[in-house]
Amino acid sequence: MTAAFAVSGLCKRYPHFALQDVSLTLAEGEVMGLVGVNGAGKTTLLRLLTGLAAPDAGSIDVLGHRLPQAQVAAKRGIGFASEDMRLYRSQSLDWHIALVRQIYPEWDDNYAASLMRRFDLRAQQPIGGYSHGQRVKALLLLCLARRPRLLLLDEPTTGLDPVARAEVLEALADVLRDERRSVLFSSHNTHDVEQLADHIAFLHGGRLLAHRDKESFLDDWRRVLCLGSLPPTLANWPEVAQVRSAGSQIEVKLRAWRDDLPERLAAQGLTVQRVDPMALEDIFVTAVRAGGAA
Amino acid sequence: MNQVLNLPLIRLLVIKDWQLFQKQLAAYVLAGIVALALLGLARPWAFYLGSLLLIIVLVAGSCFSISNSLLVERKEQTLAFVMSLPLSPLDFTLAKLAGNLLTFGVPFGLLLLGTLVVVLTTPLPDGLVVYSLLIYGHILLAYSVSLMVAMQVESEGWNTFAMIASNLLVNPLIMLLGQIDAISIPARADAIVWSLPAVLILSAQVLLSLAALGFTAWWHGRKPAFY
Repeated sequence: MTAAFAVSGLCKRYPHFALQDVSLTLAEGEVMGLVGVNGAGKTTLLRLLTGLAAPDAGSIDVLGHRLPQAQVAAKRGIGFASEDMRLYRSQSLDWHIALVRQIYPEWDDNYAASLMRRFDLRAQQPIGGYSHGQRVKALLLLCLARRPRLLLLDEPTTGLDPVARAEVLEALADVLRDERRSVLFSSHNTHDVEQLADHIAFLHGGRLLAHRDKESFLDDWRRVLCLGSLPPTLANWPEVAQVRSAGSQIEVKLRAWRDDLPERLAAQGLTVQRVDPMALEDIFVTAVRAGGAA
Repeated sequence: MNQVLNLPLIRLLVIKDWQLFQKQLAAYVLAGIVALALLGLARPWAFYLGSLLLIIVLVAGSCFSISNSLLVERKEQTLAFVMSLPLSPLDFTLAKLAGNLLTFGVPFGLLLLGTLVVVLTTPLPDGLVVYSLLIYGHILLAYSVSLMVAMQVESEGWNTFAMIASNLLVNPLIMLLGQIDAISIPARADAIVWSLPAVLILSAQVLLSLAALGFTAWWHGRKPAFY
């Protein structure tokens, strides 16, 4: 399978932060959600993938081009939008479209017009008069209508109201129907990731903690409620990410679920009351609190 | 590093800068024309007022060009949008330099031409041509240094300092020119005299300007990435 991007042994050091030894691959047609708290290294990784930053060590190949050397060729196939990217306030969306259309031969006027209607954007109005949500949607329109092979989105839904967020997610879901297009989007909103991604990469403290397909990743985690007295060694089990007790009620969050675990808990004198799957948000918070091991 | 320039995109970005600032630049040229009209009256009060207004317009125009094309773009985060386009750091640097030189150069060139026309076609002494060119040479040098600093340094404070300090040095330059007889005496005569000090000062201004711009292009052209 062709890789939309492949990074290996990637390191980037700043005075107060370092992205360390990240190896990650996204196959063509896949959608990866990059999850991490603020400062985890998501933006740094995306800057490296767009060729905007040069790595201190490691290799980056995007759409078959080595970065940052061949960043111009790679960026022709990339649509990149970040939360801190702004358009020219004094100019209209039409002006921006005229600019971008001249740069990308794949620009799709019909698709741009349909996105303009869907996002309810006024093409002639200066961008300065747009709300935050409208500015984000305008930026996404400029990215999507150029029909990029790889879409890199840094926190695309941050700061959006629920309606604007739903519109943006729907537009992204449409893009994902095209099996040749690949998407990497970063977010600390795990609901968005759970909704769109089929792969999850988990960054924490500049390190890649996990990189799995979403289903198997979610399948590994369980929340188990037990009754009994807390066994002193339970927290040391490698499968256990977190243990909390309130009286005789014990909550165990497991990072590596196996079918024999209820029996092993019972052997410790615990009565297993229920076993529940965990939402990505819960997994995310648990893993971060557990020191980052996902 | 792929050093093949993306010339169509560089051209587009230069046009973009021109489109963004053309209305304000037209206003600067208009103010400059008012200043030149005052100069053309060839009366002491009008000459003083006109030359002061002309220098203000030239300084404000050069600062506007740098501020809006680089500092405001950085502050308002539109640079991220430009950098995401298929261009290398060298393409970006050349587009920024060319865009800046255009937005600065057009009003500067028009006002320089206007000044020469006014000096040569009104009762003002033609010897002022050399004097005027030395003042314009300083504005060009101050602009080039400020542009170099703006491309190198992100700090708003240092950029403001560079723009104010380099442009304010026009005051000591005017005083210095007044102290050099080979320049100040012919300036009052009706003939254009290129004395050695005048040639040396103008050459230094032009060469230093070119060096500042060349260094900026070379320095940024070496960078493999933006960050």
